[in-house]
Amino acid sequence: MKDLHVYGVSHFRGDKQILDNASLLVPAGELSCLLGPSGCGKTTLLRLTAGLERLQTGKILIDDLVVADENLHVPTELRGIGLMFQDYALFPHLSILDNVTFGIRGVSGTEARRRAMEMLDQVSMTDHASKHPHMLSGGQQQRVALARALAPLPKLLLLDEPFSGLDANMREQIREETLSVLKQSGVATVMVTHDPEEAMFMADRIKILGTNGRMLQTGRPHDIYFHPQHRLVAKMFGLMNRFESVVDGGYVDTPLGRLRAPEFEEGQQVEVLVRPEGVLLVSDGGDGVPVEVQSTHLLGHDNIVRVRLTNDIENDANKNELYVRVHHAFEPELSRMITAGVDSRYTFIYALKKNRAENTDPAIRADRSKLHSSKSMRLEIEP
Amino acid sequence: MSAATASMPLTSKWDVWSWINGWSIGAAIVSAIVIVPIATVIFIGLTPNDDIWSHLASTVLPLYIATTLQLMIGVGLGTLVIGVGTAWLVSMCRFPGKRIFEWALLLPLAVPAYVIAYVYTDIFEFAGPIQSLLREAFGWTSKKEYWFPEIRSLGGAISMMTLVLYPYVYLLSRAAFMEQSVCMLEASRVLGRSPLRSFFSVALPLARPAIVVGISLVLMETLNDFGTVDFFAVSTFTLGIYDVWLNMNNVAGAAQLATTLLGFVTFLVLVERFARRKQRFHNMTAKYTALPGYELEGTRGYLATICCALPIVFGFIVPAGVLTGLAVLHFDSSTNADIFRFAGNSVMLSGLAAALAVAIGTFMAYAVRLGRGRLLGVLVRFASMGYAVPGAVLAVGVLVSLGALDNGIDGFMRENIGISSGLLFSGTIVAVTIGYLVRFLALAFGTVEASLGKITSSMDGAARSLGHGPLSTFRRIHLPLIRGSVLAASILVFVDSMKELPMTVILRPFNFHTLATYVHQFASDEQLGEASLAALAIVCFGILPVIVLSFAITRSRPGSPVEVQVS
Repeated sequence: MKDLHVYGVSHFRGDKQILDNASLLVPAGELSCLLGPSGCGKTTLLRLTAGLERLQTGKILIDDLVVADENLHVPTELRGIGLMFQDYALFPHLSILDNVTFGIRGVSGTEARRRAMEMLDQVSMTDHASKHPHMLSGGQQQRVALARALAPLPKLLLLDEPFSGLDANMREQIREETLSVLKQSGVATVMVTHDPEEAMFMADRIKILGTNGRMLQTGRPHDIYFHPQHRLVAKMFGLMNRFESVVDGGYVDTPLGRLRAPEFEEGQQVEVLVRPEGVLLVSDGGDGVPVEVQSTHLLGHDNIVRVRLTNDIENDANKNELYVRVHHAFEPELSRMITAGVDSRYTFIYALKKNRAENTDPAIRADRSKLHSSKSMRLEIEP
Repeated sequence: MSAATASMPLTSKWDVWSWINGWSIGAAIVSAIVIVPIATVIFIGLTPNDDIWSHLASTVLPLYIATTLQLMIGVGLGTLVIGVGTAWLVSMCRFPGKRIFEWALLLPLAVPAYVIAYVYTDIFEFAGPIQSLLREAFGWTSKKEYWFPEIRSLGGAISMMTLVLYPYVYLLSRAAFMEQSVCMLEASRVLGRSPLRSFFSVALPLARPAIVVGISLVLMETLNDFGTVDFFAVSTFTLGIYDVWLNMNNVAGAAQLATTLLGFVTFLVLVERFARRKQRFHNMTAKYTALPGYELEGTRGYLATICCALPIVFGFIVPAGVLTGLAVLHFDSSTNADIFRFAGNSVMLSGLAAALAVAIGTFMAYAVRLGRGRLLGVLVRFASMGYAVPGAVLAVGVLVSLGALDNGIDGFMRENIGISSGLLFSGTIVAVTIGYLVRFLALAFGTVEASLGKITSSMDGAARSLGHGPLSTFRRIHLPLIRGSVLAASILVFVDSMKELPMTVILRPFNFHTLATYVHQFASDEQLGEASLAALAIVCFGILPVIVLSFAITRSRPGSPVEVQVS
């Protein structure tokens, strides 16, 4: 059982709260992603686990041993962890082989080199063993850093934004290679990232942190995407169509039609978020609401289409635009009637106004005040 | 949870504070060694004893203050004009010889002020070649028949110090000019300013913090100088301290003067720190492109060449040439067994000081990197103030505190064992070494710290996560990466110790000479010929840091492996 337990960790830097009672469990052999916006404390959590920063409150256990609590601090070098930095931190004065050998201790030099070569072989870098770090490309450096972190057979591997230094083309390939190396080694891994797609791809389990390091949701990628328990989680994957409405007899009315909302009280003000891929466009009639295509943007494997609701009288014309993701080349014929429907799997409803005092997140508050001042139905483009 | 609790005793020896304290305590002890001499001076200076203070105040004090201020203003203005002017020319313009001037302008740094003073006195005095030539040419026979500037005067001292100290200002303002973004200067040109007006309205204000740092370093050196003012009989504070200490045999009086001098120094340090803080603020652009290089053609080009050549000719070529000539002329009388012994003493003392300063400086810099204690940071800052404290003041402090230590040990030994241990440290090379260490520790610490600062903290994290402790991490990662700077720091401390005169004169054991004290003794007696070889040796050693510095400045752009802290 080589797993990581983090219990109730709170952390302050000066007056600023970085982490608020964060807890975490990473079972052996699993890859967990800490996902959150920059400045949410995910890197701090990683550094606390590594012992690079001193724990203030809470408790951290690795492999059932307490490594840090309020008055205990096991130095990093005794925690038996592997750590990979965003900038890889390869030692510039050592060759690639020496970099990988660096952490293999307690065996003879020949044995250490043999094991290092084995590691380099896993990341297909044996040809570069005698080179120095500055002679390698970013992707190669990343692979060496991974090999170096895994070489001492750590109980736990920590990755801090491991792919952020790579350009987009390279990232996908390296990501795949890294994942297969990690699966092969079977080490419990915690990876920090701000890229939801990366987290979805890599993780067995995703932990989403909001501002102040509050844990918003933990779950498999599927849960995170299809059952976001928090509006911020829902909004992590890019722009959303957003409406406000009121629950009426177990249903909410949206411009796209009625949606079931059985778990809400009658008269509850709610916010409805619809993913762009949850809006279904149908040419030539159908059940949906008539819409007018404003523009389409081909992104490659899918299209982003901006449409406007045509029969909406109640609202300001500019505000009823919808963003739709269509998974095939979409070429609207202008003469034809196009209608829009909604796929409930991509639609999420959250209560508004409830427990107002409890909600101290300034971002949410600001958002809400903005909402109340505008018309009840509008589209928001989330970054 | 039960497993967790059971494991507590296993790991509890790694108490939160235990492992970092070894480093902190060590650094605190070292800081104390440096701080004690300075604190001693202030303590004695502020303890009222004999009524020497009012006596000093009514007699020599006003003179000391007036002379010191005049000297500081003169040297400050002189180095400002020469240093900034030449730095601007070689950084921003293209003219014949520019590439050579870039490093050659640092050469006068190799000549100690006292050496250049002896040389020019030799040239300009009544019996010297210039005046003899004039007398012969115009048929004058006595001093009354013509006017010739007196070299041994306040003006002479200002000229001498300006000639050898301007490289500090040159070095720092050149670095500042090179860091400036060309875009800003180009923006100024586009907005209709001439190159010269761009210099005054953009480049100069941006470089001002660096220039202020350079000038304050120059002024600290000016306050530190003993050889020149002694030889020229210019009554500055430093000379006053020697006078009261050695001639009037009055420790308290010397300490009181020294405390007043520390007031001047504190002011300079505050100015310097303030300017350095602003300097950080001013460097906001991360874009570096090649500097424009205004082409200076024809007469203007040659004018620039002459402007840059003059300080080098008068600050280095003339003194080095004269010394070489004298050394050849007096080869037999200046080469004797003594000079080799003195050179040996110099090398031994400077080597010892360099090794200690660099070892301790590196230790402290790494302790600061490891620990986050605020107290440690403050202590280390204090310990690195030594460079600002004039040698005369430190000498008083070291001598008094070592004397107290000797007496303490002696008293203890007599009481408990019945033997008198006498003076263990006072008047030994230990005292001289401690003096050097206190004064030059900042140089070593600053150089190493700057170099360590360029190693990202993720290097530490990576090494630690791979199972290496702080010491092993230092030995295997940091040390190989900062080797160049450690070497540079050693050279700088070595050469500065070799040139050091004011402390060596007071602290050295009886009849013990270094090259510096030997030159001082003979040249003061107007026997420069005898001392010329020794003086030349000091100058030759002095060229070493010039090489280090010019190496550093050409690679002073971000990412260079060697950074030298000038202080």
